[in-house]
Amino acid sequence: MKFDEILAGVGNILNGLGATIVLPFIIIIVGLVFGLKFSRAARSGLTIAIAFVGIGLTVGLLGSTVSAIGEAFADASGTGLRVMDIGWPAASALAFGSSVGYIIIPVGIVLNLVLVAVSVTNTLNIDLWNYWHMAFVGALVLFVTENFWMALFAALICFVIALFLADWSVPLVRRFFKLPGISIPHLQSAGYMLLAVPFAWVLRKIPGLSKLRLDPDTTRRRLGLLGEPMVLGFLIGLALALAARQDTVAALTTAVNIAATMLLIPRMVGILVEGLAPLADAASTFMSKRFAGREINIGLDAAVLIGNPAVIAGGLLMVPVEIALALALAPLGNGTLPFVDLADGPFVAALLAPLVAGDLLMIVILGAIVMGIGLMFATQLAPAITDMVRNSAAVDLPEGYSQFTVMSDGANPISYLFYYLYQTPAVVAIIVSLLFVGGLYILKEKFPLGERLLPIADPDAKPVSA
Amino acid sequence: MKKVYVVCAAGVATSTMVRMKVEDFLRERGIDAHVTQYRVSELSVDRVDADAIVSTTGMPDEFAEVVPVLNGVALLTGIGQQAVLEELAEVLARS
Repeated sequence: MKFDEILAGVGNILNGLGATIVLPFIIIIVGLVFGLKFSRAARSGLTIAIAFVGIGLTVGLLGSTVSAIGEAFADASGTGLRVMDIGWPAASALAFGSSVGYIIIPVGIVLNLVLVAVSVTNTLNIDLWNYWHMAFVGALVLFVTENFWMALFAALICFVIALFLADWSVPLVRRFFKLPGISIPHLQSAGYMLLAVPFAWVLRKIPGLSKLRLDPDTTRRRLGLLGEPMVLGFLIGLALALAARQDTVAALTTAVNIAATMLLIPRMVGILVEGLAPLADAASTFMSKRFAGREINIGLDAAVLIGNPAVIAGGLLMVPVEIALALALAPLGNGTLPFVDLADGPFVAALLAPLVAGDLLMIVILGAIVMGIGLMFATQLAPAITDMVRNSAAVDLPEGYSQFTVMSDGANPISYLFYYLYQTPAVVAIIVSLLFVGGLYILKEKFPLGERLLPIADPDAKPVSA
Repeated sequence: MKKVYVVCAAGVATSTMVRMKVEDFLRERGIDAHVTQYRVSELSVDRVDADAIVSTTGMPDEFAEVVPVLNGVALLTGIGQQAVLEELAEVLARS
């Protein structure tokens, strides 16, 4: 038997077992390598398995609820928006539940250590949870190519892209958010940032635009309710159900079910993170110890940026903006109804805000451009994502008529690029991937954001409490 | 019983990491406290009922006027973590 066949055999067995069984085992092994006690590692593993069960159940509820109204809504409302955004929690389960997802954590850590050792990057990505974004691209490429090695390669290229984007935006994070020593290798927020850079450059050239100031504080107070996912879920669920001509009782049930999933799914993800936490802790000690004395930025979740008033306000404004965009772009080919990920507007705004020095109006314009393009991307990825959701053991959805997508990563230009790039011959895909990474390397080395490119004020003279 | 809010952007990922560290620390010190996670956007100043807030993300300034707000980023990076935890213990002892 050839090596490839053996691997394929092993892969089939692993896929047969599913994410609830495989990922916990890998987590236990990685935990032991990093020096966790067996009991602690095993507890982590079991916690993660439980989280997968919980995510599967709650995403199943979401899926059956939106399946029931999705098609009816599109027909009855005449909007043509028949692709439902089922959100990042489902996407993360899909990603970690794929064969690339099983091994992205150990392989990613090793790759990161090597790249720091050879001084190609200064970012130590200890945000293990968000490795799922890279795994998501891997899963997408696996779907396209049906080749595990190409998928793994693509995921690792994305890992490097995330590191380089993090290095690139270090001055923004220090100057705008006053977080020295931290970088953001968060493929979602950083992917939006990459797309937004040229537009931010143009916006900042428009005379008079920066004079029209919107006040972040007022916006936050007025739209505060939209920041609560369960309220948002209830209102949107109710609106969809009524538009889909459900009767009052059915519509209220739908609204409550969706409000429930908006609250419950993130709780389940919280359990997953609880399982990962001891591992992340051990990994960060392990990695930091090896590079003591060098100037290293710790790579964290874009969540650390989100308390900034301009980011919160910009994120809240993205809720009505995204819905309006979806309707306005429907005649141009958008089929996506932004939904679960509406609650995560701040992740859209997080790295756009510093590009325009926190100007709220410009943040919203940038967000509208990025998400407008993103809606188109998410629509085009919907057939692939729908199939992936149906075939995934991690997410169990009943047979329905709706199509699914996820705004968080489906709208990400990097997911889109890789989806189409890896449909070309392997050689082309590999060469273009490497060129892309090389280009980013030059950008981040020669044109640091917030300094040479799109400069913003350096507040180090008068530090403000974070 | 003291109350501690752990706050992050989505109330999921980074606040879970921090909550676990804070809980471990408080248990070790024998401090009786209830730790809850929130998203920053769902908190409003007039509804805060906590002895301390540990936030992994910047909080609007008005919160610092009603309750001590500690920067929890150190609990994510591990750098300067002990200092933040000690500060929390002090804040809780005073409240």
